Amino acid sequence: MDLDAWKSQLRKGAAELAVLGLLSGEARSGIGLLDALARLPEIGLSDGSIYPLLNRLEREGRIRGQWETPKGGGRGQKLYALTPEGRAALKSMRAAWRGFRDELSSIAGD
Amino acid sequence: MADDKAIETYLKGLRRALRTLPEGDRDEIAAEIRAHLDHRAREGRLQEAMKALGSPEKCARGFLEEIKIQDAFADGGPTKTVGALLALASRRATAAAGLFVSGVFFLIAVGFAITAAVEVVAPDKAGLWVGREAGVYVFGTYDAPTPPDAPPAPGAPAPPAPPQELLGRWLLPVAAGLSVLTFIIGQWLARMFVRLMARRKPGGAI
Repeated sequence: MDLDAWKSQLRKGAAELAVLGLLSGEARSGIGLLDALARLPEIGLSDGSIYPLLNRLEREGRIRGQWETPKGGGRGQKLYALTPEGRAALKSMRAAWRGFRDELSSIAGD
Repeated sequence: MADDKAIETYLKGLRRALRTLPEGDRDEIAAEIRAHLDHRAREGRLQEAMKALGSPEKCARGFLEEIKIQDAFADGGPTKTVGALLALASRRATAAAGLFVSGVFFLIAVGFAITAAVEVVAPDKAGLWVGREAGVYVFGTYDAPTPPDAPPAPGAPAPPAPPQELLGRWLLPVAAGLSVLTFIIGQWLARMFVRLMARRKPGGAI
């Protein structure tokens, strides 16, 4: 069985929920998200896919990005936070995810 | 300094690959990727970061595909939606090619299977036929015309000789074997194209 291909499909659907979930606690930059995700390797979001995803979520109005310049000067970073639409989307996605997880666990086991 | 130059070269390639986007969008994406690479360069991880992002063209493709997906779902009218879907499909030319090539083999496999089945129910209508005069080979079914009861009238042109069947009782195993073989080839080709399409990273990362 090609487990990698199956995991890749699984992760594609979960990536948006993972990013919105991480942004629900605090505003983070792309680097901040990647560093948080580095501790969660099973989520499997790579450097090459996080920025396009953030770009789309911002276009869709689910997150808002704001450039922050460090106090000492130098190049800034773009911090992303959830918008009210993003919070509402996260709430719906969480409910859908819980239902999906519970039903799948009941047949596939924990 | 070497890091700055490498970053500039990467961003130049990225902007070129994003040339179909409005300038404002291109600037925004380039600024964010610059911030990412600058941050990793300060950590001494620039090469690792560039490898993780992939080539500038690959990095740009990720943005373009997300934007096309958004356009395809947005209510931008049928032209915009179809255009976005076509653009996505064109990036998946491998899929279209794979579908076509493996589909041809599957159809040939079905043709051989039908020939084998006809050989069982109507053996006189299936075979590897060769035209006596034109030398044309046909593998499959052939409804041979029944010869006229009466001999042709004197002076009338002779009717064309009926094609000859070459395989006889070997037809059934040959047709069945070719059907299985072409099906296996079709399946193998389909899997090969799927593997090409997957372009996945180790561990199934996205």
